[in-house]
Amino acid sequence: MTKLIKYYFLIFACFIQAEPFQSTYEPLPSENILIRNANIYDGEGNEFIETDLLIQNRKIVAIGKDLPSTNDFKVIDASDKWVTPGIIDIHSHMGVYPAPGVSTSSDGNEATSPVTADVWAEHSIWVQDPQYALALKGGVTAFHILPGSANLIGGRGVTVKNLQRNTINSMKFPDAPHSLKMACGENPKRVYGNRQQAPSTRMGNAAGYRKSWIQAEAYLNRLNEYESKSDDAKEMGYAPQRDLEMETLAGVLRGEILVHNHCYRAEEMATMINIANEFNYKITAFHHGVEAYKIADLLAENNICGALWADWWGFKHEAYDMVQANIAIVDQALNGKGCAIVHSDDAIGIQHLNQEASKALSAGLRAGFDITKARAMNWITSNPAKAAGIYEQTGSLVVGKNADVVIWSKNPFSVYALVEKVFIDGATAYDKESDFQPASDFDVGIISPNKNRIKE
Amino acid sequence: MMNSSKKVIFIFLIFFNGVINSESTLIQNVTIYDGKNNDAFIGNVLIEDNKISRVSSSNLRGDLVIDATGKILTPGIIPTDTDIGIVEIGALSVTRDDSSDLYQIGFSIYDAFNPNSVLIPWNRSNGITSTLTLPQNTDSPIGGLGSFFVLDGNIEISGSKDVVMIGRVGASGGESRAETFSIMEDLLEFASSLESRDMGSYKEIAELIDDSPIAETMELHPRDLQALYKLVNDDLPLIINANRASDLLKLIEIKRKYDLNLIIMGAQEAGLVANQIAENDIPLIINPINNIPESFDELAANIELAAKLEKLGITIMFNAPRSHNFHLVRQGAGVAVANGMSYAGAIKALTLSPVEVFNLGDRGQIAKGKIADLIIWDADPLEPSSMPEKVFINGKDVDLTSRMTRLTDRYTKNKEKPNGYRN
Repeated sequence: MTKLIKYYFLIFACFIQAEPFQSTYEPLPSENILIRNANIYDGEGNEFIETDLLIQNRKIVAIGKDLPSTNDFKVIDASDKWVTPGIIDIHSHMGVYPAPGVSTSSDGNEATSPVTADVWAEHSIWVQDPQYALALKGGVTAFHILPGSANLIGGRGVTVKNLQRNTINSMKFPDAPHSLKMACGENPKRVYGNRQQAPSTRMGNAAGYRKSWIQAEAYLNRLNEYESKSDDAKEMGYAPQRDLEMETLAGVLRGEILVHNHCYRAEEMATMINIANEFNYKITAFHHGVEAYKIADLLAENNICGALWADWWGFKHEAYDMVQANIAIVDQALNGKGCAIVHSDDAIGIQHLNQEASKALSAGLRAGFDITKARAMNWITSNPAKAAGIYEQTGSLVVGKNADVVIWSKNPFSVYALVEKVFIDGATAYDKESDFQPASDFDVGIISPNKNRIKE
Repeated sequence: MMNSSKKVIFIFLIFFNGVINSESTLIQNVTIYDGKNNDAFIGNVLIEDNKISRVSSSNLRGDLVIDATGKILTPGIIPTDTDIGIVEIGALSVTRDDSSDLYQIGFSIYDAFNPNSVLIPWNRSNGITSTLTLPQNTDSPIGGLGSFFVLDGNIEISGSKDVVMIGRVGASGGESRAETFSIMEDLLEFASSLESRDMGSYKEIAELIDDSPIAETMELHPRDLQALYKLVNDDLPLIINANRASDLLKLIEIKRKYDLNLIIMGAQEAGLVANQIAENDIPLIINPINNIPESFDELAANIELAAKLEKLGITIMFNAPRSHNFHLVRQGAGVAVANGMSYAGAIKALTLSPVEVFNLGDRGQIAKGKIADLIIWDADPLEPSSMPEKVFINGKDVDLTSRMTRLTDRYTKNKEKPNGYRN
């Protein structure tokens, strides 16, 4: 699957020259580290007790008991502590809806047309959002920033490392695919219906997506036809004119851009699956999906993840049928073949995704499912990594992967667990003990000239 | 002495005979957090009629005995800032009863309360036994009356009407906060000038309004003036939503000038003026999990706020703005403890503090004579993964079924049937 994406990416990249806005991310200075005697959830469903983890050259190089160490390694005693992969949030609006939430930087919804596949969330991001550092203290090492849900097709999302930098490109997760935000239901029909324009109904929503995909198919056909020509013929003819909207949609049809679909009701998710089949694209995840439990098997059959809240509900009609076992039911569909993700959509929630997973797990256990904590850890690590297309690099503690690692004071399924250290690519990004933590420019001298914002 | 108290109980029993199930319930060998900021102790709690009749470490006898060894018992949780019963679906105005276009100061939500709201069984099954339900802010910087409701499941409303007034000050995008403070002071000045003999008929009150520039400009109704009078003369608690440190100091000044029973809600920058808040004995309602500088009034938002306030002896209560899940005050309290607050202090903030601050009667505490609103938890109540095993409201063991548990059952049991034909 990933190889296929890369292959398509190459063809596409040749056609439109170099992919613009490439990542220029560079990690922080790193050390070689031996974490001793930790209790580990590896993000692959496993739990290892009193085990060592070795980080070398920014990668995880070994997990096991009594690993040998040399003087080159900084040794961290993690006895009685817990270690997990870096937490990943698949649904964030940090940067596009930063704090303070003022109108001048409220840049998440291009609510001027129901289809804005041409806009990219990364072009809205405010890199000085003070919320990134708060999420880092919650163990979040990467997150996926989406446009809002005002539009049927809202634009491209982007995955970033949780290291605040002065440009967006230098935060972008290297080689992470783009996503496309789509939205069902009340939001688009309310936003445009209130303006007496389409869509004003759910059937108007469905027609809107299909019209766009018909255009995208035609565009892709022209593109394919041009690309199939010989070099001589290409020189004689004209390449189809670039079209930002169509490039994004064609990217979805070619499998290189991942569809993340805001959708609450069961029957609407099923309709979106029909539309995806009609136009031969894949939905990577439904987001919010308060009714995902009603069609959990259908999601599993179609390899679609449910990116869900533990318990949010009731703020609108399509969010009325909440059950707290939603995440567990999606996870356990077809005998455990489901893909469940705990997402935040919220700058407070992103700091406590471990607690949200804990609530979802306990509700699942009460509903009669047999789910381990180690498996529930996948909901906030490997599963969101897969949905963001960065699983080969991160999302679990596996030899060869990026050393994105969190050390917790206690079992992370407890509310009392605090993050003690966060490593991103083997580099310390946060250390509670030495008070090593980032502050954005916004935080500097804003309450008291001599201090940073939350230092007293 | 002995005889007279026996006589009182005897009369009490006759009075309630046939009205309330007189079987007693004994919760045995349970770990008790009594709500009073005491350390936990293991003991036995006897419920008779609607009250806690005994709390003891020695053996007691009851008709029904619940062995709760290893379990934690707390008073029922009382969130202080909810719209339970007056908002069913946030984005559906036809299900909202939390605002008024006409009344500003005297708007009461009491009669709008819906005891059949689906929020009630859900929050109750999560440990919420009663609620302080507040309206939206009105056009006036002080105004709107909140009520206290007991979530006992009866169709008749059970609670106390108009126990608190609300208000707000801070960044609005419209008027300067200086104007807000001026309106507040003009209203309070006017209210202070009122005598009880002025507050007779609506006609008399209407004449007072005509004579007051501020009341006339704001187009107040006699109902508004009655509420204002009550605020200044009857020590009615006043919750002002405010965050910026300078606003908190100005509110303290106003409280002192007009001798108000002031509670500050939000209070994100309380840490910067904590000494002044402590000296003036002002209770705070905070959301301990909210450390987002969501506005320029909240720049000092800090996850360690609850711990800092507690150390100065400030009375703290919690809210949880997340739509519909007011029981998440527990999770917030857990986060407060993780960040330095004492455990018993957090339990008190969820239980007895609201009762004491808002005069909510004999609730919020595990002690002899108190109304038996009690929760037996399946594990640590401040862990969001925990749930109540039993909930007692007014001494009655209430059913913990909710629409959410029904829907869960529908999609996890009897799946061979089409979903419309499942239970």
